[in-house]
Amino acid sequence: MDSLVGFVGKNYVLMAGDTNAGRSIMRLKEDFDKLVPVDSHKILAKSGEIGDGNQFCNLIIRNVSLYRINNETELSTKSVAHYTRRQLATAIRKNPYSVNLLLGGYDKKDQKGSLYYLDYLGSSKKINYGAQGYAALFVGSILDRFWKEDLDFEDGLELMKKCLREVEKRLIIGTRCFLIKMINSDGIAVVEKVMINSKKKNEIEEEN
Amino acid sequence: MFTLGSVLDNELKSSVEDFSFETEFSTNQLMLPNIEKPFEFAQSIISLEKDLDENDNQPMFHQQKKEERKERALIKGSKGTTTLAFIYEKGTVVAVDSRATSGQYIASQSVQKVVPVNQYMLGTLAGGAADCQFFLGHLGRICNLYELRNNEKISVAAASKLLNNILYSYRNYGLSVGSMICGYDTRGPQLYYIDSDGSRLKNSLFSVGSGSPFAYGVLDAGYRWDLSKEDAIDLGRRAICAATFKDSYSGGTVKVYHIDENGWVKISDDDASELWYRYEEKEKKNK
Repeated sequence: MDSLVGFVGKNYVLMAGDTNAGRSIMRLKEDFDKLVPVDSHKILAKSGEIGDGNQFCNLIIRNVSLYRINNETELSTKSVAHYTRRQLATAIRKNPYSVNLLLGGYDKKDQKGSLYYLDYLGSSKKINYGAQGYAALFVGSILDRFWKEDLDFEDGLELMKKCLREVEKRLIIGTRCFLIKMINSDGIAVVEKVMINSKKKNEIEEEN
Repeated sequence: MFTLGSVLDNELKSSVEDFSFETEFSTNQLMLPNIEKPFEFAQSIISLEKDLDENDNQPMFHQQKKEERKERALIKGSKGTTTLAFIYEKGTVVAVDSRATSGQYIASQSVQKVVPVNQYMLGTLAGGAADCQFFLGHLGRICNLYELRNNEKISVAAASKLLNNILYSYRNYGLSVGSMICGYDTRGPQLYYIDSDGSRLKNSLFSVGSGSPFAYGVLDAGYRWDLSKEDAIDLGRRAICAATFKDSYSGGTVKVYHIDENGWVKISDDDASELWYRYEEKEKKNK
């Protein structure tokens, strides 16, 4: 039921997630942030069970911090993705974490952003654009059609809103509130918290 | 023999202990039944309500085991209750019912579903009564130790995180806990929802249990941050009353508590059915 969308643009990574947290049919919380910062330039977007997501992401974040403290150097996005994948893979046959992740990060060394798709089974793939959850069904084709290499930020934001609009329109489970975050050379920034109502003329309202 | 070196070592050790929570109930040491394969045993005899649903995000081999579990289930856990809590400008309101059911039989109409953690924090009970009572009582012990070691009151966030970590380590062992940690600390009124699945959520209002959808209806319709104390307490009471009216697993008495900077106070304890008709009378008089 969680929707996560992400793609890489020109020197940035844009990620969005819905802000619902619930239990079976009930929505418990409407402003739940699923895009957790791993460090200053990486976001781990979590979907799946709330408890597993919290604990697993905490595990990754704190081990990345420990590495930084011990070695006085930041890990690259690729390394974090590999570490995360390994944790998921070793856990799958013992006590699986039911979390599916999107890891987005900006590496100052390469001066570009990267996005990784990580699964609860321990699969990992570097992607240019992708989604987790039911959103993947609707948004995959939009991104296939409209994503281009080196999109400007404005174009990228417009593409993201296009994707979220589609999720709100077609997903029968009500997800109208989304949080969009961006990672670039300056770090992580919350771009917008949008509430989409596809029936209204002025579809997208920005929430402050 | 106390040399300077050893004294410093001792001091360092005790100061480290102050900031850690190493007790005999430490989260590192899981308490398990003294049998050969405790995990498998627990899985085999317990089936929770949620496991009986088909819609799952679980891996395939989990689903296969679930079929076996359904057949052999001896203990069935379900959260037949209604508890709610919300925070507002002046504090936290906690309201609960007091019915306990085992299957279709009402086991008790006078269960204490609110467990005091300390003077300014309450925990609510939903799911397995034994699980909730034990873990909330244990949380009270840990919080007390924290206050003695660190000479400051533990925050609600920290207390809920401690409980969350403990419950997470017992994740697949068939515990059934749907508790809310409600309190008032230096950050103001706080409310956390803690689950036996390992979730921990912070929000301004929650309702847990089989009667929660009914309680949410009344609660969401009447909730505002700037309620007066009287209105807030009335809202909590009405929401539980509505839930007891609609849900057969909730009933007994409606207990309402209020937490502010001075600690928690029990406000009222009314029979649920009487309360409903009392409200009806009031509405008639108002008309």
